[in-house]
Amino acid sequence: MATNRWLATGNFFSSYREEQRIFFTALDRSALLAAVCLLALWPLLVTIDSKFMLVIDTILVAVVAVLGLNLVTGFAGLISIGHAAFVGIGAYTVASFARLLGENHVVLTHAWPLLILLGGLVGAAFGALVGLPAMRLKHLYLAIATLSFQMIFQWVINFMDFFNQGQTIAIGRVAWPGGTVTRGQHYLFWYYIILTVIVVLAFAVRNLLRTRYGRCLIAVRDNDRAADAMGMHPGLTKVYAFALAGFFAGVAGGLQAYLYRGVGIESFTLHHSINYLAMAIVGGLGTLHGAFWGPAAIKALDLLVESFSSWVGEILTISGNLATAFKPLSFGLVIVLFLMFEPRGVANWWRIARSYVKQWPFRY
Amino acid sequence: MSYFLQLVVSGVVVGSIYALSALGFVLIYKSSRVLNIAHGQIIASGAFITYSLTVWMGIPLVLSFALGLCVTFFLAMSVERIFLRRLIGEPIISVIMVTIGLMSILDGIIYLTPFGTENFSFPPFLPTTPLVFAGVSVSWTQLVGVALTAAMIGGLSMFFRRSTMGIAMRAVADDQMASMSIGISIPKVFGLAWALAGMSAAAAGALIGNITGLNFDTLHAFGITVFPVVILGGLDSILGAVVAGIIMGLIQQFAAGYLDGNWGLSSTGEIMPYLILLVILLFKPHGLFGIHEIERV
Repeated sequence: MATNRWLATGNFFSSYREEQRIFFTALDRSALLAAVCLLALWPLLVTIDSKFMLVIDTILVAVVAVLGLNLVTGFAGLISIGHAAFVGIGAYTVASFARLLGENHVVLTHAWPLLILLGGLVGAAFGALVGLPAMRLKHLYLAIATLSFQMIFQWVINFMDFFNQGQTIAIGRVAWPGGTVTRGQHYLFWYYIILTVIVVLAFAVRNLLRTRYGRCLIAVRDNDRAADAMGMHPGLTKVYAFALAGFFAGVAGGLQAYLYRGVGIESFTLHHSINYLAMAIVGGLGTLHGAFWGPAAIKALDLLVESFSSWVGEILTISGNLATAFKPLSFGLVIVLFLMFEPRGVANWWRIARSYVKQWPFRY
Repeated sequence: MSYFLQLVVSGVVVGSIYALSALGFVLIYKSSRVLNIAHGQIIASGAFITYSLTVWMGIPLVLSFALGLCVTFFLAMSVERIFLRRLIGEPIISVIMVTIGLMSILDGIIYLTPFGTENFSFPPFLPTTPLVFAGVSVSWTQLVGVALTAAMIGGLSMFFRRSTMGIAMRAVADDQMASMSIGISIPKVFGLAWALAGMSAAAAGALIGNITGLNFDTLHAFGITVFPVVILGGLDSILGAVVAGIIMGLIQQFAAGYLDGNWGLSSTGEIMPYLILLVILLFKPHGLFGIHEIERV
């Protein structure tokens, strides 16, 4: 595909095919391949504490969810304040099998890829359902519709006995052609699974943006009236965007259910929805690699603030947990500061750094 | 029958506080098209400021209520000045996200104080024996709360109808370009809208504090319930906010009174507003009194 090693400055594409390539230069492709290889190989070289492995796995699950949120919020321009509920839909799809069949039933332990996929599909169905008002409504009202979906989801889970009223529902250990995944292998195993899922889904997103459906999303974001005049259907496109986001979120939920080996409502509250939004914004809305920077940055901030507040607590000899106060405070500050001073997110820093390196030493 | 009337009374009381807090929300939306997600936190901070003035500093309740309103007035105004003024003209998602970030910041600040985790209740300043009309009991705080709400709403509508600044605010809500061209300062109007919203939010918070006691989680949930109210009333209608507030209060109380405990249902009062919200968004998205923006393509 990518034949030229360097790309000339300026746009000299002479065919649409050329412009829509996945990788513009061989360098792009090999850099990405190297990054993926690095991600795949490092756990074989270094062994780290399972506590940190869990953090990394959590970041990766969030990456899957944020990829979806980025589609609906970044590319289609629709604010979703209920993304955690969609993640929850996926997780509770898996959990309902655990409730029906027992946590160690063969369906849960052996057919887990199918269950995760099913979680995604159920998430997509709910996404389309919540997106339905988009046929008639504009952004603000939609944001509120997703918010109410979030509240209804929380209430239903807390209310229904079938879902253990929001208490944790245990999920069994999965089996694998090499045998059951043991306690020691658990996080490493899921690291590879989630990494694979991310590679597939990120590729899917990149590909989607080359197709008419992906360009449709961007057109509707930029100007839905113009998009309508060009023959697209803005309402349907928005519903479609929500369904896609629901799919990604559902997959993330299924993965999270298996990773934590349990599903409880406390991971899918409004707070988490806002967290996902913050990740998408800090990473950079409407950029693909923003979905990777955002979760990592927010999670790192979380850990930093936690150690910082325990340090401050020691100095000031305060018995209470300062993290409950510092976490939302720093989190809110980060969102606000990013929006005021770097609305394009961390992805923009990456772009700046890249163009600096690219043009060195001949800058204009 | 008296059970029904009792529910009506508590519904009207809760509803009038909803009306008051929705009013602030609508004020901001109407003038500057900002969806203020942090409204619940402003309500909470108003309530906590009033409480700390009256209990920790020993100022009489009525005076500290007035002082609390003033402090929140300037608090909300500075919020607008610091955070939102820079974002005029930015895409709508940035503005919404800034209010979400603001919500987080205010949360963090409130968690730094004892109010974040503990429960407080205002010292009683009215007779505690309830009034009883025909088997329906109404407490003095409820009565005063409704009266205060009515007074505040009346005062605000007078302000909009009679004062120059109020008329300027209505003009900005109507047409920003036209009002700019006749010399109305838009930033000033935005600031004032936020300040007035903060004031009414503080009043709502202090009233809730007096009626049900201060608990951050409750105030938090209260702030989110404002969304269904404003959607029911129409995002840009002050009359709608008042009417929808009372309707929502009644519906909540009826749901809690008649549905809870039957058919194994519980806390239906909490979820009812959101169900109504979804139905309204599907069938009558501009609410009862909202302006129907007709857009033909």
